[in-house]
Amino acid sequence: MAANAKDIPTIDSSELKELTDKLITSCHILDHEQVTDGYGHVSVRVPGADAFITIANISPGAVTRERLIMQDFAGNHLDGAATPPNEWPIHACILKARPEIVSVAHTHSKWSTIFSVLPIKLKPLHHYGKFLSADGPPVYEGVGLVRTIERGNELATALGGGPAVLMRAHGDAVVGESIEQMIERTTRLAMLGEWNHLALLHGQPKYLSAEELEVYNADQRFPLRGWEYYVNRLKGKLE
Amino acid sequence: MAASNYKGPAFDSSELKELQAKVVNACLILDREGITDGFGHVSGRVPNHAAFLTIAQVSPGCAALDKLVLLDFDGNYLGGAKPAPYEWPIHGCIMRARPDVMSVCHTHSKWSALFSVLKKGLRPAHMYGRFLPQAGPPIYSNAGLITSIERGDALAGALQNGAAVLLRAHGDAVVGASVEQAILRTVQLAFLGELAHLAAVHGGPDYLTEEELTTFAGERSFPARPWEYFLSRLGERRIA
Repeated sequence: MAANAKDIPTIDSSELKELTDKLITSCHILDHEQVTDGYGHVSVRVPGADAFITIANISPGAVTRERLIMQDFAGNHLDGAATPPNEWPIHACILKARPEIVSVAHTHSKWSTIFSVLPIKLKPLHHYGKFLSADGPPVYEGVGLVRTIERGNELATALGGGPAVLMRAHGDAVVGESIEQMIERTTRLAMLGEWNHLALLHGQPKYLSAEELEVYNADQRFPLRGWEYYVNRLKGKLE
Repeated sequence: MAASNYKGPAFDSSELKELQAKVVNACLILDREGITDGFGHVSGRVPNHAAFLTIAQVSPGCAALDKLVLLDFDGNYLGGAKPAPYEWPIHGCIMRARPDVMSVCHTHSKWSALFSVLKKGLRPAHMYGRFLPQAGPPIYSNAGLITSIERGDALAGALQNGAAVLLRAHGDAVVGASVEQAILRTVQLAFLGELAHLAAVHGGPDYLTEEELTTFAGERSFPARPWEYFLSRLGERRIA
């Protein structure tokens, strides 16, 4: 299924300027907050098209506008840098399966990796986990990088309708209905992972129940607050 | 919400200038010391009035003079930036219940969040914990943000006459007889939490007993010392 490239704005078009700026900023946030190391990538859906923009084989912390790439959901190159990330199907397959999702992050977060190989689940024990279900994100058990559409579809199935999926011995994929939401969820999943780890060293933590999580679900009113904070912390790093 | 009968100094009066700068610096300190993330707030009571200054929907690390708001204890807006923080009742209700409290810090401190979901209590294993009871601070265990006076009163009820209360799956609220004291306690509570965690991983610390805590609990000889230190660490971020 090749997209009709004629109808799709280019990466450098004014139409996509705000989204691409945000995408670059989000990569630097994940690096600055130490969620990513030299690997991982973030994508944003091209509005109204079966296409997405991600970073072309470069560390999130080193990304520049020149390293953005646009592909369609079949992996065809549409614009920008030449070499797609190995694991482009993570983005293509999830964005295809989940029309409401605007942005996908794939990281090798230390905390997601730990819980991907433990018999213990990463469960909400702070209200930051309100975006998760009470029993925590599922784990995609498939071994090997997600380099084919077949594997990408398996991963999307494991994710289901949820916000995040851990990838065994690998990391995670986190989705959002905006880049800001993807960043909030990715950073919070890492915080929750660390806090689960700390608490489990003491025995059994008192997790939030599904009913208690509901109480918080009604409470979120300022979705941009976290984004503003993380952008502020990049001061001096980005021009 | 009852109408306000506040008759204290106006938000932008010279009388509140010093307190304004102090609340902003206090927020920046909690960010600099790694206690807060994007959330949390610090308040300073307007002396002799049922009102307080805090930050208006901004991360403590992004606090500035033009991001402050003045509220009365019922949450009525009295001046400054809008909107008020979602959890303003933490400040209003604790200050109403505790006339001795001049400042309240609410954070999502990792160490408070950790001990809030454990059974063992964040007990003092260092003399910094002399402001705490031997069993550690109480835990407010209800789910939900403190967005109503009812919840704020319940939180104040859990705090009682103490210096700190942990909020389960959430963080903490720490009070002081000054902004400086509330900040010092907040920073020290985080230190105590990390220390207790590290020691527990080794099998459990030799906690201080009630009697031993009393030994440390005397008057502070140099109360301005930590505030001066924290301000110095803010460098150019510090508000004059």
